[in-house]
Amino acid sequence: MNIIAEQIAEFLKNHAPFNQLTSEELAEIASNIRVVNLEKKQTLFKINDALHDSFYVVASGVVNISVIVDAEENIIDKCHEGSIFGLRPFFAKNNYKVTAKAREDSLVYAIPISVFKPLLANNAEVLNFLLENFASNLPEDRSSKGNLVSDSGFYSEKQSEAQFFQTLAYNTTPLLATSDNTAQEVAQMMAESLKNNVIIFEKNGPIGIVTHADLASKIATGRYPINIPVSNIMSSPVVTVLENVSLAEAQLLMLKNNVTHLCVTIDGTDKSTIKGVISEHDLIAAQASNPGVLIKEIKRSLSSNELKEIRKRLTNLIQSSIQKNIPLTHITNIASEINFAILKRAVELSILDLGSPPARYAWISIGSQGRKEQLLLTDQDSFLVFEDVPQNKYIEVKDYFLKLGKKTTATLEKIGYELCPYGHMGSNMMWCKSLSDWIKQYNNWMNATRENTDNLSSIFFDYELVIGEQKIETAINNIIFENANNNALFFDFLGNEALRKNSALSFFKKFIVEEEGIHKDKFDIKTRALMPLIDGARLLILSYDIKGINNTYTRFKQLAIADPKHSEIYLNCAEAYLFLTKIRTLEGLKNENSGQYINLEELSKIDREKLKNALIPMKELEELIKDKFQLTQFS
Amino acid sequence: MLDWLKHINKEHPEFWKEYLTKFSKKSKRYVILSTKATGDSLEKDVITFISAFAVENDTIMIKDSFETILLQYRFLHDNHLSNEYIIESRLMKLSEPEALKSFIEYLGNGIIVGHQIEKDVAMINATLERMDCGKLRNEALDIDIMHRKLHEITEDREFSLDELSDFYKIQKTEGDSATEEAYKIALLFLKLKHKLGLK
Repeated sequence: MNIIAEQIAEFLKNHAPFNQLTSEELAEIASNIRVVNLEKKQTLFKINDALHDSFYVVASGVVNISVIVDAEENIIDKCHEGSIFGLRPFFAKNNYKVTAKAREDSLVYAIPISVFKPLLANNAEVLNFLLENFASNLPEDRSSKGNLVSDSGFYSEKQSEAQFFQTLAYNTTPLLATSDNTAQEVAQMMAESLKNNVIIFEKNGPIGIVTHADLASKIATGRYPINIPVSNIMSSPVVTVLENVSLAEAQLLMLKNNVTHLCVTIDGTDKSTIKGVISEHDLIAAQASNPGVLIKEIKRSLSSNELKEIRKRLTNLIQSSIQKNIPLTHITNIASEINFAILKRAVELSILDLGSPPARYAWISIGSQGRKEQLLLTDQDSFLVFEDVPQNKYIEVKDYFLKLGKKTTATLEKIGYELCPYGHMGSNMMWCKSLSDWIKQYNNWMNATRENTDNLSSIFFDYELVIGEQKIETAINNIIFENANNNALFFDFLGNEALRKNSALSFFKKFIVEEEGIHKDKFDIKTRALMPLIDGARLLILSYDIKGINNTYTRFKQLAIADPKHSEIYLNCAEAYLFLTKIRTLEGLKNENSGQYINLEELSKIDREKLKNALIPMKELEELIKDKFQLTQFS
Repeated sequence: MLDWLKHINKEHPEFWKEYLTKFSKKSKRYVILSTKATGDSLEKDVITFISAFAVENDTIMIKDSFETILLQYRFLHDNHLSNEYIIESRLMKLSEPEALKSFIEYLGNGIIVGHQIEKDVAMINATLERMDCGKLRNEALDIDIMHRKLHEITEDREFSLDELSDFYKIQKTEGDSATEEAYKIALLFLKLKHKLGLK
């Protein structure tokens, strides 16, 4: 074995299922490996390709596994370093059902099936692992689900990632009868198999369907005798659909045709082979993986790992929703509710661990979480307020809440919310204080703005209670709006913050991109486009004394009502904000990061133009702010 | 040029004759080659290490590889060098003629790929001559030239293997043995081949 094979064996040893193998077995595999280099976007295999003689392990890079649903490519899995994929040749003889495509320059090891298969005989663990992996890679292969052994709590809803737009699970072994069977025979079949429908076929094509409803209305009423040929009572023609129909489409078809069952055939017409039948119940079952269920699961979860798993599914929900052009406002609402449930659960888990808190408190989210705009896994910002306690208890109480803060932020970090680089978190001594200290803090910030700009960050003015005492939030709310009233100095500060952001377009209407660093030539959408809108909205909402609205989009909508003279500008800003968020979210989902930097070259020409147009309202907003607050003092 | 005249009366070794017969067919197999030698001189220096991987269907075949240390007792002795490290290594060791023989058998009619390959080929040819064989008949590709062609670099500068690895973001290996170099060259070759659209 040469040194490269040794290195490969070493690599495999660290990943399941290879860690179950002996070093001789590993050596055998490693020396038989073939190394495949995949350029970005290169396809390794696609749907309906003949099976390869090997399966694959990602050595470096990312490979996307996707399926086609409703003629659109949906990514169902992203394989990172060490994950295995392309297991179909082990278990099936037909062609690939998924497409594997490199998301970035990647290297994969091809392990010949002929080498690996003999090892399976002695390693039940490995076989199980492969089976499980195979099943989770293929949402349509539900039939194999029964065999897989899984100890994760999400087993039953493992497929829920594909959400509303998943391919449906349905009965693939429908009851069949021919038109000369009698009604009684058909009813007998249904009773024996506890099904409520039978497909009537002729030369392999479905010609009709008999359901409970038909039997009830036509036989039980005595209109027809029970020995009549079934062709007289069947509903005909039956509505047929393609194999990979989505939940949404199936629902629409049932409504449109006013039927309760759809017949699945190979090419979607009633002249081809029957593949199965979709009933209303299948639709209901599929909907069980909706956001409501996610929230329920969050409330039940007991560890950061479970929460992490749920957060991943939220990401998938967001991704598929965006791909289906669901309005972003809906997506944001749902996502932020789920995010909040996760935050709340994280605090609760810490309390379960530390014992009940010694005083009333409020855990408050700030920044993008506070604005309920967090679609991607960006960083966490928060602060903690506890009620005033007698001097002799103070140390003890503060100590408890600091611990609570540390535990919670650590949990959130595990889930995937990065720690705030500026330390704006409840675990920080500075931001875990008693209510009177916080009131002092806000008074200081807002009344002596000039001296206190050091630690003042505008994100402290976007806040939302996660868990704890509502009264504490109200108290902070009041102090802010009291102080904001006619406070020219404070608005000056916020106004200048909003305007200080670097402009997005150059004089010649070209995007200004990063000049150096790892994000060279990319467009910083967060600081150059989103922040000015967010800052502007916050400033104006405070100045108009509008309480309780944290979301930038709704803030603009509200401003349009409060200040009708400029309503057009506000509405444009609201729309622009949505579009920019969408671009950022798509970028973030694609690269699994915060989406802050946009690679303009990957955008289509239309999107680039749209992006440019979305930057125009920003200019108008700036002018409006300059005008309204007569910015002078700081500038 | 007049090689055939020089050799016309000499009888080639058996393995060489067999090697020559392999060229009746065109090969789809690439042999990624990296050698180590004691220096650059074709007369005085000798090869100490040969390492190679085969590339077929755009994949590196780990199994189809070649790796051997050449025992150069005479060279070491003449230059008063120690041979301890060679003795201790677990790798396959062969004498120069045996190593070249098995390498030629391994190589067959494959297309040679390497980094600044003409040096390796010249060194091997010099060694082959000492064994009464002719020169290598294989086509040879150079990743340095492929890189310059891809980017249309005309200046006469050579890119080191490290520079190329950095440019194409090939992961660093721990050591710099001939085998690891050959593997790196193989990865670079796959990338360049794809980018240049070679079939």
